[in-house]
Amino acid sequence: MGEVIVITSGKGGVGKTTTTANLGVALAQLGLKTCLVDADIGLRNLDVVLGLENRIVYDLVDVVEGFCRLRQALIRDKRLEGLNLLPAAQTKDKTSVTPEQMRTVTEELRQEFDYVLVDSPAGIEQGFKNAIAGADRALIVATPEVASVRDADRIIGLLEAAEIPPARLIVNRLRPGMVRKGDMMSVDDIVDILAIDLIGVVPEDELIVVTTNRGEPAALSHESRAGEAYRQIARRVRGEEVPFAEMDEPAGFFGRLRRIFGQA
Amino acid sequence: MSHVAHASADVGQEALRQDAALYVRRTLRSGQKIAHDGDVIVLGDVHAGAEIKAAGDVLVFGHLRGMVHAGADGSDGAMVCAWRLEPVQLRIGHVIARPPDVHEDVPDAPEIARVEQGQVIIERAVRPEDGRMARG
Repeated sequence: MGEVIVITSGKGGVGKTTTTANLGVALAQLGLKTCLVDADIGLRNLDVVLGLENRIVYDLVDVVEGFCRLRQALIRDKRLEGLNLLPAAQTKDKTSVTPEQMRTVTEELRQEFDYVLVDSPAGIEQGFKNAIAGADRALIVATPEVASVRDADRIIGLLEAAEIPPARLIVNRLRPGMVRKGDMMSVDDIVDILAIDLIGVVPEDELIVVTTNRGEPAALSHESRAGEAYRQIARRVRGEEVPFAEMDEPAGFFGRLRRIFGQA
Repeated sequence: MSHVAHASADVGQEALRQDAALYVRRTLRSGQKIAHDGDVIVLGDVHAGAEIKAAGDVLVFGHLRGMVHAGADGSDGAMVCAWRLEPVQLRIGHVIARPPDVHEDVPDAPEIARVEQGQVIIERAVRPEDGRMARG
């Protein structure tokens, strides 16, 4: 029996879809059967990021409405054995699916896959409630910005209320140079505010923009620093102990000294 | 002498209050709200975006970063106490206070906020000079 993990954030634009795509790639690279579910009905993107848009025949709403079988709607990734996508509908909205229907779909998927990753829409309304309905656990994506961290806190509270076990945190788009200068919140600051466990830190990486637009997730290439971070997160999702690599660009002695003082 | 009168008035008020204190043993996150007709005690943090509204006093055994309204039934004699008092806004009785716009370092010690002469004042809960509890 596989595990259903929702990837959520509250705030939009922090990298939920990019994270879902890359984590899916990284899990499949580990030889795990992985299904990505795009729960952002009406604003579907996950297919585009994965470069699978032109292969969609049926979608999530078709499945819950009984127009097709679940298996027919799944798209197998062309590059990577074991990676599958259940796309969202684009011409419907969030009310086309109920939390109960989502639970049924994820239950069916977990019979067949090791991991089912649900890409949640932004917000805390129906779409979010659908996305978390069948989840065993949650990964929270937050960028080092006050608004993002605040929304993440709200989401963690809602997950607690829904009795989904403590979520783990992915800090996305970190710029170590700015953190060192005191211009950006550090990972420690964010963990201190949110009081949840960290599962990974993804550095800002221009390659993400390039690969996302091209429909080739960065985790596919070994040149991307962000891709490497996603591969580490995948191993931690699976329960491996992976040490947190020092995120800083090689810092001189003074850089280190300042950081220590900065925390006092 | 006004100090003594103030204190005894407080005691009287507490003796009359019907509602027991509400004990909250968890962290309050953004969007979560507690409202209670008596005192509220939180063992945990109160995050920015969370709200506590209490007719009586509010004690936070943790980091208070959210919004607290003590004495919400109009009692200016209520107080707010926290391990780390760093609220986004503080209301006591009829008085609304916010932290200064210039960021000040919050002392690494428990603090008490109360109203004195129509203004919210904040002081160390334990007076550094003699180690006694500061009580208004």
